[in-house]
Amino acid sequence: MAIPAIKLDNVSFSYPVSEGAEQKAVSGVSLEIEEGTFVALVGHNGSGKSTLAKLLNGLLVPTSGRVLVYGVDTADDKKIYDVRSSVGMVFQNPDNQMIATNVEDDIAFGPENLGVPREEIIKRVDWALEKVGMSQFRHATPFKMSGGQKQRLAIAGVLAIKPRVMVLDESTAMLDPKGRDEVMQVVKQLNREEKMTVVHITHYMDEALEADRLIVMNDGRIMLDGKPADVFAEHKLLTKIKLGVPCVTQLAVTLSEAGIAVDPRITDEEALVDSLCKLL
Amino acid sequence: MQIVVKDLNFTYSAKTPFERQALKGVNLTINEGDFLGIIGHTGSGKSTFIMHLNGLFKLQSGEIDVFDIKLVPDKKKKSDLRRLRGTVGMVFQYPEYQLFEDTVEKDVAFGPKNMGLDAEEVSRRVKRAIELVGLDYEDIKDRAPFELSGGQKRRVAIAGIIAMQPKVLILDEPTAGLDPYGKEQILSLITHLKKECSPTVIVISHDVDEITRFANRIVVFNDGKVMFDLPMNELFRHADELHAVGLEIPKAVKIAQKLRERGVELEGDIVSLNDLLHAIVVAYNKKHMDKTVDENLNFSAFEFDKEISGTDGEDKR
Repeated sequence: MAIPAIKLDNVSFSYPVSEGAEQKAVSGVSLEIEEGTFVALVGHNGSGKSTLAKLLNGLLVPTSGRVLVYGVDTADDKKIYDVRSSVGMVFQNPDNQMIATNVEDDIAFGPENLGVPREEIIKRVDWALEKVGMSQFRHATPFKMSGGQKQRLAIAGVLAIKPRVMVLDESTAMLDPKGRDEVMQVVKQLNREEKMTVVHITHYMDEALEADRLIVMNDGRIMLDGKPADVFAEHKLLTKIKLGVPCVTQLAVTLSEAGIAVDPRITDEEALVDSLCKLL
Repeated sequence: MQIVVKDLNFTYSAKTPFERQALKGVNLTINEGDFLGIIGHTGSGKSTFIMHLNGLFKLQSGEIDVFDIKLVPDKKKKSDLRRLRGTVGMVFQYPEYQLFEDTVEKDVAFGPKNMGLDAEEVSRRVKRAIELVGLDYEDIKDRAPFELSGGQKRRVAIAGIIAMQPKVLILDEPTAGLDPYGKEQILSLITHLKKECSPTVIVISHDVDEITRFANRIVVFNDGKVMFDLPMNELFRHADELHAVGLEIPKAVKIAQKLRERGVELEGDIVSLNDLLHAIVVAYNKKHMDKTVDENLNFSAFEFDKEISGTDGEDKR
């Protein structure tokens, strides 16, 4: 079997709060992510999911346990650049990730820092802009763009480093529905066409539905892990840990519990409409 | 009492290459007691509009009358902005970024203090505001706002506005960036505040599914103009037009539309998931007389602390 893109081996992490005291954010998480999968990670605020994201590319190093990125330990200082070039991060607020006054320079920043030759940088900038559908903005300034455009630009900046894994830490949270859709389309396409491994952290259960695998964090641990339809079937547990289920599932579950013969595991709108048409 | 806006125009960066007209002849009357939702895509003028109601922009042309406080473009006449800001409370997007004092109590007191109230009244209002947003006054008053969780910070920021006891409460994207539970809490908080403190509430939201939960009337902005101004149940009959200007329609409306297209008869106007659920059950019972199902089904949402859950959810007209 090939080495997993990311492997967590009994990982814990605590933030120092004050002298001698610490707060545990992640406790004993073991996890393997295969190359090319689209993983969604959900959990309420404070469940440890953002901490987990930062552990994936060595922004944080585990207090105990190990994180391996393509077999490289993130705690190994000498290899941290390898880790960071393998795992790209896109954060919540695109404004915090913009550094240059024009699009081209902004995207070139990553590869420049890695010492990539000029000719190659030009190629990568072209490629990254094309991948996020922003080629016509090459010479524009990021500051006048919509949220969705800025976030796609942030993704292009990460792409230019040619990472094999992309971690999106609530990158759709500040966007309007249109911007959110733009970003999701780009990410899904990268996953499909470039075989990019994606870890998408989100509060939107409808986005989580589109993943191959859904991981639910609660209280620093992994609570559920499986195909989205299987995870959402545990709707009672999800509600208990302050998470919701997508609205199609919510509808299907409520009808089924009331005694109407609808499959409570339906996640797809068309499928729900189909089965309701047969009943009504 | 009413808010009356007549022929409001506003242009950003006038007479520069960046000139852009954000509002183009807006007319709108908001009644006391309205629970108004405003939707519109980015750049439609909705934020520019609400900022006018709070006197954050100088009027360029048109008239605004907020509960008998008159705003006019005339430079010689001064509008009574102090009284306006005591009447209209504005909660911006991500209001937690506005917290600046070193304790929660001081932060919430900032607004009422600036209104010139005496110390006793200020502290009375601060206590009430903190309790209204569902926080424990004694527990939280001396804590630094920065050590609170995201949801708590947002509540403290809202308390800072509530402490001014505005008659009109305006919130711009109040649930942005929160997790599902945090969203639910803020939504029931808004309903609670409408009942207990500010009878007129205006909310801007991108999330139509969310807005259908509380508003009784929706105004749609498009290209600087009011495109629709309708009670909720009527608005979504215009689903195609809304879609054409890049606005989503609630999921329940979408599913109902699909079912109806395929010949399923659903009764009534369907806006929220609960409406849809009810209509489906009614249709089901008609067909399955032998084994009918309870028609009063409801979604089981989260359970909240009692003090903020004082919502009956039936505030719609």
